[in-house]
Amino acid sequence: MGKIWQIIKFEYIRRVSEKQFLFALLSLPLVVVITVIVVFAISVFTINTDPIGYIDRSGFLTDAAPNEFKGNIFDPAIDFIPYSDLTRAQDDLESGLIQAYYVIPQTFPEVRDVELFFIKIPMAEAQNQFMQWVRQNLDTFKAFDPLVLERLEEGSLFTMTTLDGSREMQQDQWFLLILPIIAGITFIIVVLTSGGYLLQAVVEEKENRTMEIVITSVTPTQLMVGKTIGNISVGLTQLAVWLIFSWIGLSIAGRFWPALNNISIPGEMFLVMAFLFLPSFIMIAAIMSTIGAIVTEMREAQQISGVFSLFVTIPLYVITPMMMNPNGTLALVLSFFPPTAPIAVMLRMALTTVPTWQIVVNVLALVIFAILSMWLAGHAFRLGMLQYGKRLSLKELFRKQEAA
Amino acid sequence: MSTISIQNISKRFGATLAVDNLSFDVHPGEIFGLLGPNGAGKTTCIRMILDIFEPDAGEIAVLGGPMTDDKKNRIGYLPEERGLYQDIPLDRCLTFLSTLKGMPEKSIAPILADYLKLFDLYEVRSKKVKELSKGMQQKAQLIATLIHDPELLIIDEPFASLDPINTRMVMDLLEDKRDEGKAIIMSTHQMNQVEELCDRILLIDHGHQVLYGTLQEIQSQFASQDILVTALTPLPEFINGVAAVRHVNGRTLLVLSEGATPNQVLKQLINQGIEISAFEIAVPPLNEIFIKVVGKQTEGQDG
Repeated sequence: MGKIWQIIKFEYIRRVSEKQFLFALLSLPLVVVITVIVVFAISVFTINTDPIGYIDRSGFLTDAAPNEFKGNIFDPAIDFIPYSDLTRAQDDLESGLIQAYYVIPQTFPEVRDVELFFIKIPMAEAQNQFMQWVRQNLDTFKAFDPLVLERLEEGSLFTMTTLDGSREMQQDQWFLLILPIIAGITFIIVVLTSGGYLLQAVVEEKENRTMEIVITSVTPTQLMVGKTIGNISVGLTQLAVWLIFSWIGLSIAGRFWPALNNISIPGEMFLVMAFLFLPSFIMIAAIMSTIGAIVTEMREAQQISGVFSLFVTIPLYVITPMMMNPNGTLALVLSFFPPTAPIAVMLRMALTTVPTWQIVVNVLALVIFAILSMWLAGHAFRLGMLQYGKRLSLKELFRKQEAA
Repeated sequence: MSTISIQNISKRFGATLAVDNLSFDVHPGEIFGLLGPNGAGKTTCIRMILDIFEPDAGEIAVLGGPMTDDKKNRIGYLPEERGLYQDIPLDRCLTFLSTLKGMPEKSIAPILADYLKLFDLYEVRSKKVKELSKGMQQKAQLIATLIHDPELLIIDEPFASLDPINTRMVMDLLEDKRDEGKAIIMSTHQMNQVEELCDRILLIDHGHQVLYGTLQEIQSQFASQDILVTALTPLPEFINGVAAVRHVNGRTLLVLSEGATPNQVLKQLINQGIEISAFEIAVPPLNEIFIKVVGKQTEGQDG
C-alpha cells in the first residue's frame, strides 16, 4: 500500500503542478466569469431607465398612488410622468426626456385598452411595471387580496404526467431535463481528461525509459493502480473546482433569477449516475492504459485515444434523433453498448422513463466491459511496456503467452 | 550462500531461443561479469533474474529463494535503457525512485544529499532532469541504483557516458561495495574494465554458456607458452626453443617453439649472463579471448 500511495502522490503532484493542468482547471471558471461579466455589463448598460409618460384621458389615475415597485439592477424602478396633452409628450419623447408614453383613452374602464408611443420599444420589464402600476390603481383590483392577484398574474402552472403515471414534470422544472445532459457531458469531459493524463503518464514512462526501473521496484498492478488513482484524482480535483465555481455562479445568478434557487437533484438520479460513472471511469482508464502500453510515442497515443473519445461521445452527435425518440432503436443500442452507455443512458433518463431492468443491464454491461478492459490493459502492459521504439500489433496483443 | 543461484534456465521468444540452459552462481562480495556480444541473451537473463520475465525452464533463486516484493527493495538495477522522469526536478525524481525501493521518505534527504555531493550533482538538484547533460543523467541514474544500499547490484554498462574521472570514482565505489560484501553483476563490453574489476565472469553467446570461471582461470586457459621478458642487457639473437621474437610495449615477447618450456628458456638466459628484471607467461587480454571465442562461435553458427 505504501508504494501505491507514493505513486498516487507522485502522479498527482506532478500533474497538478503542470501549467497545462492549471490552464484546463481555470478555463471553465474563467469562461463562466467572463460570460457573466459580459452578460451583466450588456444587460446593465443597455437598460433604459428613462421615465415613461402617460396621458390619462379616463382620469382614473388622477389621484394615483406612486409606483411601489422596488426594482433591481436588471429591472430598475421607472418614473411615470403624467402629461396633459399629446404634443408635449411627443416633444419630450423626441427630445429623449422620456423613453415612451402611453395614451389611456376615456373608454379605458370599459375597453381596458391603451396605446403606447415610442421611438425604440421599451423593454418588457418597463412595460410590465407600467401595467402593474395601472392595475394597482384600478378599483376592480383593489377589491382583491394582493396574494390572489399575484397568483392570478402568475397564470397557470402545467404538470405533465406520463400515461403510466411513472413520471411527471412541472413546467418550471426544466432543469430536470437538462441536468442529466449536463452531468453526462461534464462526466465525460472529466473522464476523458483524466484518461488523457493517465495515457500521458503511461506513454511517458515508456518514452523516458523509466518503466524497467519502476517494475523492478513495484508490481505492475501496484504501478497501474497508483497511476490510475493518481490521475483520476486529478480529474476529480478538476471536477470539484468546476462544481464549486458552478455553485458560486448559481448562487450569484440566483439573486437575480430566483428560479435557480429551486434547483435540486433527485436522489435516484445521483444513484444511477454513481453506478454508471464508476465502471465507466475504470473502463476508460483501462483502455487508455492499453493504448499507452501498445504505442511508442505520445503523438500516436493521442491519435488512437482521439478516435476512442469520438466513440464515447457519439450520443452527443446524434442527440436530435435520440431526443425525438428516446426509446427508439438508436437510443437503446447506444445505451446497451458500454463505451457510449454513460452519455446515452443519461440522455434517455432526461427524456423518458428508463425501465429499471434496462438500467441494471446497462450497468452490468459496463461492469463486464470494464473488467475485460482491465484484463486487456494488464496483458498489453506486460507485453508492450518493455518494447522500446516498437509498436505492439493487435495480433501480438491477442496472441497467447509471448513476450518481447 | 550464493546471492544468485541459477540452474538450467531457458527462455524462448517465438522461434528464437534467447537463453539456452544457462547455470551460474553469484556470491556475496564479488563483482561478476556477465559478458557476451550484442543479442547474446544478457538482458533477457537479467530480466529473468529480476522477475520481469519468467523462464520457460529452470530455477532461479535470488537472495535465497524466489523473487518477492520485499526482495525488490534489496536490489539495485541500472538497466541498459537508461531513463529518468524528464520534466521534474532531479531531487524529486530521485526521492520518488528511492521511495519505490522502500526507503522511508524522511530518511531519504540526507542520504540523497551525500550522494549528490559525491557525484557532483548537488548544485543542480533543483534543475529539471531534461536540463542536465547525458553524463549528469547517467550519474543520477547510478544514484538511483545505489541509494537504498542494495545487497545485490545489477548494472548494465555502468561507465557509458562517464568521463575518466567519474569512471574511476564509480569503479572505486563498486570496489567499496564489493568489500562491504555486496554481490555485483556487471554487464559491459569494456573488457579492460572487466579485467580491472571482475572476480569471475560468464561469457554467453546465442543464449548459451561459452566461458565461466575466475578471470585468472579463463585467461590461463587461453594462455600460450609465450613469454614476456624485460631485460636490462640485450637478449641474444638466437635462443634455443624460441621460434620468434616480437617487441610489445617496450617488452620482448618470446614465441616458444613446439616442445620448448619457459623453464628451459629462463635457464639459457641466466647461463648466458643476461640481466632480467621481469619474466612472465604472456596472458592473453580478455578482449582477445572474447573475439577469439565469439568469432569461433559465429563461424560455427554460420558454418
